[in-house]
Amino acid sequence: MYCVNCGVKLADTEKKCPLCNTVVCHPDVKQPTAQPLYPSDKLPVSRSGSRGLNGAVIFLFVIPLLVCFFADRSLDGVLDWFGYVAGALVMLYVAFALPMWFARPNPVIFVPCNFATLALYLLYINWASGGNWFWSFALPVVGIMCLIVSAVVTLLYYLRRGTLYILGGAFIALGAFMLLVEYLMNLTFSLPALGWAVYPLLVLALFGGLLIYLGINRPAREILERKLFF
Amino acid sequence: MAKKPSMPLRWVRLDNAAKIYPAARRNNWSNVFRQSVTLADDVDTDVLKSALEVAVKRFPSIAARLRKGVFWYYLEQMAAAPDIREEYSYPLTHMSRGEMRKCAFRVIVFRNRIAVEFFHSLTDGTGALIFLKNLVAEYLEQKYSISIPLEDGILDRKAPPKEEELEDCFPKNAGPVPASRKDTDAWHMSGEPQRDGFLHLTCFKVSVEEALAMAHNYHVTMTVFMSAVMMKALLNLQNEKNPNARRRKRIKLLIPVNLRQLFPCSTLRNFAMYTVPELDPRLGEYTFEEICAVIKHKIGAEFTPKHMGSVIATNVGDEQNPLVRLIPLPIKNLVMKAIFDSVGEKKSCLTLSNLGQVKVPEAMASYIRRFDFILGVQAAAPYNCGMLSYGDTIYINFIRDIKDAELERHFFAVLQELGLSVTVESNENER
Repeated sequence: MYCVNCGVKLADTEKKCPLCNTVVCHPDVKQPTAQPLYPSDKLPVSRSGSRGLNGAVIFLFVIPLLVCFFADRSLDGVLDWFGYVAGALVMLYVAFALPMWFARPNPVIFVPCNFATLALYLLYINWASGGNWFWSFALPVVGIMCLIVSAVVTLLYYLRRGTLYILGGAFIALGAFMLLVEYLMNLTFSLPALGWAVYPLLVLALFGGLLIYLGINRPAREILERKLFF
Repeated sequence: MAKKPSMPLRWVRLDNAAKIYPAARRNNWSNVFRQSVTLADDVDTDVLKSALEVAVKRFPSIAARLRKGVFWYYLEQMAAAPDIREEYSYPLTHMSRGEMRKCAFRVIVFRNRIAVEFFHSLTDGTGALIFLKNLVAEYLEQKYSISIPLEDGILDRKAPPKEEELEDCFPKNAGPVPASRKDTDAWHMSGEPQRDGFLHLTCFKVSVEEALAMAHNYHVTMTVFMSAVMMKALLNLQNEKNPNARRRKRIKLLIPVNLRQLFPCSTLRNFAMYTVPELDPRLGEYTFEEICAVIKHKIGAEFTPKHMGSVIATNVGDEQNPLVRLIPLPIKNLVMKAIFDSVGEKKSCLTLSNLGQVKVPEAMASYIRRFDFILGVQAAAPYNCGMLSYGDTIYINFIRDIKDAELERHFFAVLQELGLSVTVESNENER
């Protein structure tokens, strides 16, 4: 029997073409049958080999958490600093241990998750320390940083080309972001307007522009590769 | 299986080539390959188990388990034969660390087929084939009460293992000067991954007579001819996926070579190296003759005792460095894994391993229908290919962990263009 689509001769075991998936079917020709090469419905039970390890990692986080809890409590019967340690441990867990549960952790999902955890941790610190800087400073800074980093990660992950343009754009966006950081700092902490943000803006914009230029200009890129190879 | 041995179990250090494989393995990948023999009649598992007991004692470095020392891994002989396993819907299912600790090879039976899957640290294709042939010879002798002469790789299975079979042949054949490791990256194939871990096996069957005649037309060997077909298929696939010629990457094929043909050595452990012919598609279109010439000259230039000796010297030099030897195993593992992940599989598109013409004594031949050689997929690239010929048929086994059989289609198209008739079979009938 031959595949009607790609023309390959099929062994008698084949019910469809292994090359193009065309089903073997001819109303006038009796299809020969033979025993399949492999059992058709026998798959190994999928076990994640890292599940045990991931469980052990949780313990690694829980033990210092409990130690800090009892230590803080035994000092004066009140929880003073435990919340800060707990928040930091949760952040570490989300950043490094949580992706281990997934076979192919997608950074496009995990990067915003990390920023969300950071924002919650800062909200807690703001509340626990009686500050009032979260809504006017920390949230917009973390939020915009999250947008920039997530955009870069998403573009790099899915486009897989134009790296120089993406990184160039990101550096320019970071430079502009510095202006906002200074403005929010001055507003929140009543600092004098020094205009320091212009310097990182210039450096970052220059560097971002250079990356974009290298992306556009192939000969310049090749010269740089030739000079900088190691 | 947990029977207490009367003599202390034999253990051996990993040979030079074997050292990278335990470090490079991942939670869902380890470097395992399969060789199988299909018999005329269904396999009697009780007799096979008895034959396996004999083979396990005769081949202590292959029938072994992987153990950890403080500084290096080592292989420990099995006290008794492992259980015979049933076949799954695909070959080379993941071999976990726990499984390797108990036994680093598997014997699998499906109807009339005996398959053995080896963790690559145990042996290479040549050693594995000798193990399989001897297992089958013992099985046939016990099952059919026949006598099989000691020829074509059949050894005296009642005799104790010879020391030279257990030898690490790399250090003594290292050249005086190490070769450079500098190499270029190859095109990285990709595709929609098969999420459930299923491995697609596609076997092309080609007539030896036809293919050999065609190879001789191009004045090349079978290995060079099939490698040229594969490289042409890879070129065509990249052209299809990447129409911009200036952005195309190098096509490189890793061809393992058997060092026993160059050096006087009869080890049953790893003693293979590789050569990697390459084509740069940015230079223009390649004709089939040009590809044959590139591969032929590459193998001709590199498959010499001098060149291979220098490559061995590079690898052995690292291993014998006293500082490296003193680093504890977990740290060595981290470093070796990092090196393997960053370099290991970037230097070739896939491996095409040709075991050559498999010969068995006349007394065995009437009981055997075919042999197969299947490589596992690479850790970070979707394809690999193993081939051998038995009787008048070449069996070319492609394995992949992506959904679409794009490389196989191009490979078939090249064979068809050359005028070779091909029969194809697979493991995915019900999927």
